[in-house]
Amino acid sequence: MALNMGRTISIDPITRLEGHGKIDIFLDDHGEVERAYLQVPELRGFEKFAEGRPAEDMPQITSRICGVCPTAHHMASTKALDDLYKVEPPPAGRKIRELVYSVFYVEDHALHFFFLGGPDFVVGPGAPKAERNILGVLGKVGLEIGKEVIGLRKELRALMTLASGKPIHPVFGLPGGVAKALNSADQEKFISAAEHAVKFGQFALGIFNDVVLKNPKYVESILSDAYTHKTYYMGVVDAQNKVNFYDGDIRVTSPGGGEYMKFKAQDYLKHVAEHVEPWSYIKFCYLKDVGWNGFADGPHSGVYCVAPLARLNAADGMATPLAQKAYEQFFSTLGGKPVHHTPANHWARLIELLYAAERMRELANDPDIINPNVRTIPTEIPHEGVGVVEAPRGTLFHHYETDDRGVITKANLIVATQNNAARIAMSVDKAARGVIKNGNVDDGILNLVEMAFRAYDPCHGCATHALPGQMPLIISVYNQNHELLKEIRRDG
Amino acid sequence: MSILILGLGNELIADDAVGILTARHLRALLDGDIEVIESDLSGIALIELFAGHERAVVIDAIHTGQHTPGTIREFDSTDLGPVLSPSPHYSGLPEILALARQLEVDFPSEVRVFAVEAMDMTTIGGQISATVADVIPQLVDRIVLQVRDWQRQKIHA
Repeated sequence: MALNMGRTISIDPITRLEGHGKIDIFLDDHGEVERAYLQVPELRGFEKFAEGRPAEDMPQITSRICGVCPTAHHMASTKALDDLYKVEPPPAGRKIRELVYSVFYVEDHALHFFFLGGPDFVVGPGAPKAERNILGVLGKVGLEIGKEVIGLRKELRALMTLASGKPIHPVFGLPGGVAKALNSADQEKFISAAEHAVKFGQFALGIFNDVVLKNPKYVESILSDAYTHKTYYMGVVDAQNKVNFYDGDIRVTSPGGGEYMKFKAQDYLKHVAEHVEPWSYIKFCYLKDVGWNGFADGPHSGVYCVAPLARLNAADGMATPLAQKAYEQFFSTLGGKPVHHTPANHWARLIELLYAAERMRELANDPDIINPNVRTIPTEIPHEGVGVVEAPRGTLFHHYETDDRGVITKANLIVATQNNAARIAMSVDKAARGVIKNGNVDDGILNLVEMAFRAYDPCHGCATHALPGQMPLIISVYNQNHELLKEIRRDG
Repeated sequence: MSILILGLGNELIADDAVGILTARHLRALLDGDIEVIESDLSGIALIELFAGHERAVVIDAIHTGQHTPGTIREFDSTDLGPVLSPSPHYSGLPEILALARQLEVDFPSEVRVFAVEAMDMTTIGGQISATVADVIPQLVDRIVLQVRDWQRQKIHA
């Protein structure tokens, strides 16, 4: 198959990346799906690497582990340090953190929708392969939107640099607050960018309304049984049970929709456990209180779900007016709470984008934001600290134990995709069963299976980057004797 | 003539450091209108790094399991087929190139990719393998030749 160097490269399995999207499908002797597995690699050695390092270095170190959501790791880590030193940031310190975090959310969610959800829901799942990408999306919604996304991203990145030191790997979070106050000139820039972001959020939801919701076929595919799982949902909520990305209690709602429990970050080990399977490196999180009952739906299975759809299901609403309206429309359109359809994540993500933009506007206009008192100096002797945030891809826990000098003796991270791992595995399996009949597998079918996990925006193992051009999704189909029948690669 | 040297990878993750370390060596060796960037970014975020440069070298680790660790492979961005990335974080170079062109972003006319076969890409805090570290001088030489060649072309143009 090696026709030239480029071709050779693109058909090589890139083991690290292969794991990001390697799906093994086993067929029975009738050519029906016996079981489909999504394989993921996991970065190893974090715990060992962290041991012996000063806890105060963790916000910088953990944000460097992952080039995809460094701000989420930085924030969870900084909050774990607050808890470690038992110190509460002053209002300005807390609000600057949440402001920066909201900026990060707008940027991340905007990118995700247009590049990732767009190909499925703007271009359409049945479109030819060559069009199911950002270029196809722009072809449909207009080039101006591409410029708008890139332009907004640039503006937001500049703000992140202003507030957090470096745009990629923020360095501003310290136990008890932040390193740098904002002045009124900075504030003006945040206010103006926030206005821009709110408009963008409304505009993006408008596109979703026009292109997706007005197309019955797309709505049907969101509601498809192949993409539906009735699980528990987890998300961080504020005191009014509204979605909050930066801080609050962790709320879990049941498959029926009611509150199942609510707990503090510090108690996560009492409620979240990890199940190990021989075929996967990833540990599958489940609710301890319910128990592990296999990869199953329903109230008797401890499988739960995080990320945008889960956050909307786990909360009673959004804390800002425009997002709240969109939240109400979401549930009324999709048949009430909770919504169990995985592809609805794309819509939920846009509602969250609008919320992040509105929250950014509120915080930017808050007089406290330019108060120079941005840090409370820690005085307690450290022992143990847990921090939680909602990363764009779901609930993220950082947990450190230290000696009296603040040197790490034990570290544990639960990343978003781990929380979601069991449900993602179920989604891939169910989608494969739903679309593969009589051993028939082609590119369109591959895309339908892929859609099942793409909606989660999985970010496995917090890997950092990929050689440009080297991101194959590999689907291997095996017969009843586990012999390879067919391999399809998503690499051009 | 503005040339970008982009070392991709993660210094904290074993052999994934090779692009970063190579870029660091090159920074000390090259002069002229050259920008050397070390980055762990990927996908669409790279557009901003490429923008404004006429030519670019990308250095990265890959793990195919089909070549001896330390094997250096070199190819042009046009050699890479189009990729529909399962995630925007992993958008391929061809996709980025096409997007940059459509959006009229000032993108390099030529991108040379140097890929080094790695052994360990998953151990946080892991050391770079000796077989991978050993090829850095050779890789540095090849990139210096490439860059000087571009610079000469520019002078004679």
